[in-house]
Amino acid sequence: MAVEVLWWLFAILIVGTALGVVVSRSVIHAAIFLLVALAGIAGMYVFLTVEFLALVQLLIYGGAVAVLVLLALMLTRQATGGERISLNGPQAPFAAIAAIGLAAILVASAVVTTWPRLVDDPDAVPLGRISEVLFEDFGATFILVSILLLVAVVGAIILARQEDAE
Amino acid sequence: MDFADPFFGISWLDALIRLVIVVGVMTLVVMYLIYGERKLLGRFQQRKGPSYTGPAGLFQSFADAIKLVGKEDLRPRNADRWVFEFAPFAAFIPVFVILVTLPFAQDWGVRNLGLGLFFVFAVLGLNIVGILMAGLGSGNKYALLGGVRAAAQMISYEIPLVISLLAVAMVAGTLNLNEIVLLQENRPFVLIQPLAFVIFFTAMLSELHRAPFDIPVAESEISGGYFIEYSGIRWSMFQLTEYAALWAFSIFGAVVFLGGWAFPFGLEWGWGWQLFLTIFKSFFLIFLVMWMRATVPRLRIDQLMNFCWKVLIEVSFLLIIVNGFFLYYGWSETILGLVNWAGAIVFIGLVYSRGIRRSRAREYVGTYRNPEAATP
Repeated sequence: MAVEVLWWLFAILIVGTALGVVVSRSVIHAAIFLLVALAGIAGMYVFLTVEFLALVQLLIYGGAVAVLVLLALMLTRQATGGERISLNGPQAPFAAIAAIGLAAILVASAVVTTWPRLVDDPDAVPLGRISEVLFEDFGATFILVSILLLVAVVGAIILARQEDAE
Repeated sequence: MDFADPFFGISWLDALIRLVIVVGVMTLVVMYLIYGERKLLGRFQQRKGPSYTGPAGLFQSFADAIKLVGKEDLRPRNADRWVFEFAPFAAFIPVFVILVTLPFAQDWGVRNLGLGLFFVFAVLGLNIVGILMAGLGSGNKYALLGGVRAAAQMISYEIPLVISLLAVAMVAGTLNLNEIVLLQENRPFVLIQPLAFVIFFTAMLSELHRAPFDIPVAESEISGGYFIEYSGIRWSMFQLTEYAALWAFSIFGAVVFLGGWAFPFGLEWGWGWQLFLTIFKSFFLIFLVMWMRATVPRLRIDQLMNFCWKVLIEVSFLLIIVNGFFLYYGWSETILGLVNWAGAIVFIGLVYSRGIRRSRAREYVGTYRNPEAATP
């Protein structure tokens, strides 16, 4: 019972803050709403008893991505807090159509797919099994992805430092 | 995961009671950490520190707290209202959540999480958000600068922090903090992973922005950084967060590296001794932090970032690789410890020799008086 109440609280929190991201008139507010929504999704993972994924979500999306968004806002905007500007342009109706279409596709694919296991009966995957799959079964893929990320980081640094060379 | 017997048999009530105990102790500890730091810094600077309020100034923090609560809660006109007002709470919540998983004595903490170590650093990552909110919402350029500095510094130093902890987790083979302590019954992990401890301590100083890494809150450069506009109760929230984080980090460091409640004789001598061990070790770490503050001057931001990205991260990755070889081939723990000690000594030696080298800038000191000497 208590779990259902908590689940609905989290669901309302996530949807509410996600709406806040879109509706909010200040970019900073939108970024903070985004952070809360991403942290709320980490809570959803806890309900699915995948604690490891929940913590990864918190670490990557809550701790790193949202903070990078805030940092980028700090570096690029005027140093004032609460300026409110209309973020809606003439493309608003097309954006709405695209958003509704995407939502329809996602919901449809989630409903149509036959999922391997029921959510009602999850079994906790031990951490050792995750690392076995990640580093042994898919070891080569893991290394390739790491190299890709490394190349991206080095490339970003080179691009950012370009102005010094000129 | 619960500990043995929940109070009154109800899980959430049990959690609440344990949490209230931990938070109550935390508040008291924070009060006396502030007092202790002022007293200690006073001694380091050959003065007495607070000595008027109560015997030896023992009630100074309470007097300060009453004064702060009584102060007017100011908000600048161009501040972003909600961001400004929620920032102190957003900064405090992660520290509060960390306390949930720290084991203070055998099977005594709020909750015994299976992924405790990972939980701590996942939640710690959110610590920056409150500071960024304060920096963005204050409508003040100093606050913004402080926020940018804090974000850059904390994101960077989180990497060596996490990797040094992972090195210990590799040796321990578990992420459960309670089990990590139990494994250190005969020797604390600092003996076999001293290099990881050095990296952890450095990154901890930086995450807490204590001197010599207090760049985001530097009074003489940006007059206090992100909390420049705060006053009264909200400022005291930031102060509470800072010292609570210091305490939580020290307990965490004591648990992971110094053997927590288990070393020495933790299992034989009962829970009183265990509690004493945890508190004593955490206060020892806090003493080290304050000693650093009194001794080392503040770094520049470029030195700070260079030290993280060009030194600490490489060394911590090297540590992971060395540990991996030892664990994969099952080589002896003694040799692993010796290799790590050698690494730690070489690392500290290199940093020290770099620190005491003659600065090139020194040749320019005073050269404005005789311009001919300015060109070396």
